[in-house]
Amino acid sequence: MAIEDYRGDVEMCCRCSACKHIPLQKVKGVEHSEACPSISRYNFHAYSGSGRLLIAKEMLTNGFNYTDKLLDIVYNCQMCGACDISCKYAMDMEVLLPINEFRIRCVETGHTHPALDKVIKSLRQQGTMVPGAKGKRAAWAQGLGLKDATKEKVEVYYHVGCLTSYDKDYQKLAKATAKILKKAGIDFGIGYENESCCGGRAFQMGYKDDFLKQARKNMAMLKKAGVKTLVTGCADGYQAFKVLYDRYNLKGELEVLHISEYFARLIKEGKLKLNKKVNMAVTYHDPCYLGRLGEPWIHWKGKRVPGYKFVFDPPKEYRRGTNGVYEPPREVLKSIPGLKLAEMDRIKEYAWCCGAGGGVNVSNPEFASWTATERIEEAESTGAEAIVTACPWCEQNFNQAIKESGSNLKVYDIVELVEKAV
Amino acid sequence: MAIKKDVYKEFEDVVGVENISDDPAIKAAYRSPDITVVLPGNTEEVAAVIRLCNKHRIPYKAQSTGWLLFAPTYDFIFLDLRRMNRIIEINEKNMYAVVEPYVISAELQGELFKRGMICNVKGSGSTCTALAMSGHGHMGLTTSTGDRNELATEWVTDEGEIVRIGTLGASDEWFCGDGPGPSLRGILRGGGVITKQATKVYHWPGPSEYPLEGLSPRYKLTKKPSELNMMVRYFSFPSIEKLIEAELKIGEAEIAFELMGFNPSMVSSNITTSNEEDFATLDRFTKEVQGPGFMVIIAGNYDEDFAYKKKVLAQIIKETGGQSLKAVEDPDVEATLLFQCTRVSASIRETFRAGGMFSSMMVQGQRYDNHVRWLEEAAVWKRELIKKGLVIADDGQQFGWGEEQGHLGHTEIFCRYNPYDEKSSEAVQKWMERVGKRALEGCFAVPSMGVLPVDVVGKKVSNYHIWFGKLKKAFDPNGVGEQTGFSYVGADSAAAHTSIYEKPEKAAKE
Repeated sequence: MAIEDYRGDVEMCCRCSACKHIPLQKVKGVEHSEACPSISRYNFHAYSGSGRLLIAKEMLTNGFNYTDKLLDIVYNCQMCGACDISCKYAMDMEVLLPINEFRIRCVETGHTHPALDKVIKSLRQQGTMVPGAKGKRAAWAQGLGLKDATKEKVEVYYHVGCLTSYDKDYQKLAKATAKILKKAGIDFGIGYENESCCGGRAFQMGYKDDFLKQARKNMAMLKKAGVKTLVTGCADGYQAFKVLYDRYNLKGELEVLHISEYFARLIKEGKLKLNKKVNMAVTYHDPCYLGRLGEPWIHWKGKRVPGYKFVFDPPKEYRRGTNGVYEPPREVLKSIPGLKLAEMDRIKEYAWCCGAGGGVNVSNPEFASWTATERIEEAESTGAEAIVTACPWCEQNFNQAIKESGSNLKVYDIVELVEKAV
Repeated sequence: MAIKKDVYKEFEDVVGVENISDDPAIKAAYRSPDITVVLPGNTEEVAAVIRLCNKHRIPYKAQSTGWLLFAPTYDFIFLDLRRMNRIIEINEKNMYAVVEPYVISAELQGELFKRGMICNVKGSGSTCTALAMSGHGHMGLTTSTGDRNELATEWVTDEGEIVRIGTLGASDEWFCGDGPGPSLRGILRGGGVITKQATKVYHWPGPSEYPLEGLSPRYKLTKKPSELNMMVRYFSFPSIEKLIEAELKIGEAEIAFELMGFNPSMVSSNITTSNEEDFATLDRFTKEVQGPGFMVIIAGNYDEDFAYKKKVLAQIIKETGGQSLKAVEDPDVEATLLFQCTRVSASIRETFRAGGMFSSMMVQGQRYDNHVRWLEEAAVWKRELIKKGLVIADDGQQFGWGEEQGHLGHTEIFCRYNPYDEKSSEAVQKWMERVGKRALEGCFAVPSMGVLPVDVVGKKVSNYHIWFGKLKKAFDPNGVGEQTGFSYVGADSAAAHTSIYEKPEKAAKE
């Protein structure tokens, strides 16, 4: 699909501005009513979901005009999909997909962002989205005696992810995950140096070809290793394996689970017991790529029925965020003795983004921090002492914003709290 | 043509470098090739921008939230008021709220619900500005209409003077739009920019927050409406006369919170989450209704009040031969209509989802029975377009509602269509002209805003356009403000004028 294929969707935008706000039924007042970080921060209509579609419509009609401002608009978007969900509360049209295709067109025509280019260079050279990564990908696993899934058959393959593998501040998540899985008696393995980036963040940034290369490479490795179930603690990785690989017909029969889904399953089966008290008041942040964008891909092919209605044959089933991963992480948190969970105003399909998506954490760290600070203030308003997330990129971005703002809020990945409870 | 660099710099000095742009990408999102967009953050910045427009004789246009794809503007300065999004005050004792232009109705309503109050929400829906202004809304039976809700107002004239209208002109109070202090409410829609406005708010008998569960787009109430002392029903009637009789009786009895003259297609749009589901539901509803109808919401303040209102409603419906649409009696459907229609969150489903656009003729402020014959003619002409496959095949009916317990009213009829289909657009434009002419010639209502030339309309209405022109000249001597010639005497053509879909290359040459 290319941006041209979404012309009908782009033309359906009626500029109602629903994309700027959370679904209207959920608006409780002036606080936390906004859905889109980009329009909230930059205010010109061009930075909203609608504005992006209207720009696309103009450029599909009169040609692409890549001004600096256009690229500023394009790259100051976390691709979080909040606009898409709010629009589809009422409308039958795609919003995020054409926005994504527009960015892909920018990359394909060489109108890239230098900071993102640097990240992609790292991906091409080292197979990681962490530029300047040093050492081995699986250095964190040294001495843990974990199975190498590429050398011996295992039930479960644990895909660690780039940030968790290479960033020393987040390797704790990999170690905790391994410890918990062992405790639950799971026969699992990792890819060691054969693990490579999922490609999901490259896709968000518009580098579709790099994503596809990574996807093919990963699936070849997983197929060779005979992996049936893949588990990951990274929301971006989850969405890549589960949704994007499926979208491009690369996933096959691979079962893809986020670690929170897997923990919830193990708890239900009695394999994972959370006995230790964790006396803490927390709130949960739904990562965009686990929540609304973690919804399974719907394979659909059809044509618009000629005439005055925007309908298709066969009828098109839209992804509206209804089937994202929302309950498993909450079930896990509720299983931890002593833990009190308070919800923020914007949750699940209309959660506010952490700010790190779409490469914004590297292309515009100030905007990423601004977005995270908004979320931190929302979390603080619940009375929670910590915000829990289920993605290392969210955790990293929250920590950075807290460091800058001086907030006392603590940040945890759900894995860290489970580790405390086992 | 862009403004000169040194002039641009003067505007930039007012709003800051982050809040001004004439980049093609920014302009594309406003669909206007020749504008400079500025984002003022407060009244003083609005006034300063307008004074600069006067100094350099540069036309300007301002917009609050906007709704739908307005016509490309060739005014050079476009004020997007998005940064002015504060609720200034909610005065519970005197029952008004003061807002800036970019507070949306959903936000104000959310705040008011917590205090047992509610505001009028325009029919365009709760994504739109909470300024009182002229928008009529589905809850007009108890929340009145936009222009009658306007209280004190802070207004920047076309010359850039900040004028405080009503009580605000004599004190810091916002409770009255007419004084003590200057009263200029009658000309507010002629130009300038409203920067703050007080709107009346009303008693809300419903919950402080709807108890919802589920995920978008299928939210559900965790309680039955009856557990909230609320009830929703849709009644169809054997004739329009009987419908009007029922509507007036309900108004006289003051038992309903909302009486919305939905036609069946608007009910089906509200409760469904896709076009396919919508059209299938409409087919079922169309077969079941006996004639024109309305939706009514009863809201009890306490159990006995709820029981009394239901009993009176049942009696009125019996006397007028009304028939309840069974599907709406299902508590899930009833609940969906309840929260959709009181929060006005689904107008987009009613209007845009099917084809992408709608064009509408409406009469604001007059009772339904005054002009129903004209609307019935409009419906017949609309059905001709439906038969030809030019507009969405709903039932073709008009709709409307009583305001202030039926003393006033609002009626409307619209066509939904694909604006990129030239035949459809042309047909709808002709339908609008035909309906507009009939309204004028039959003395039913006054069409405006592009349906018919202003001087043609003006001659029929005391030459208002000449007086309007004089007022405009007095307040806008440099001619920098909008030149819409807007009337507010009767009917407005809302929504898109089809000419906005002229191809960009053609528009750019004009």
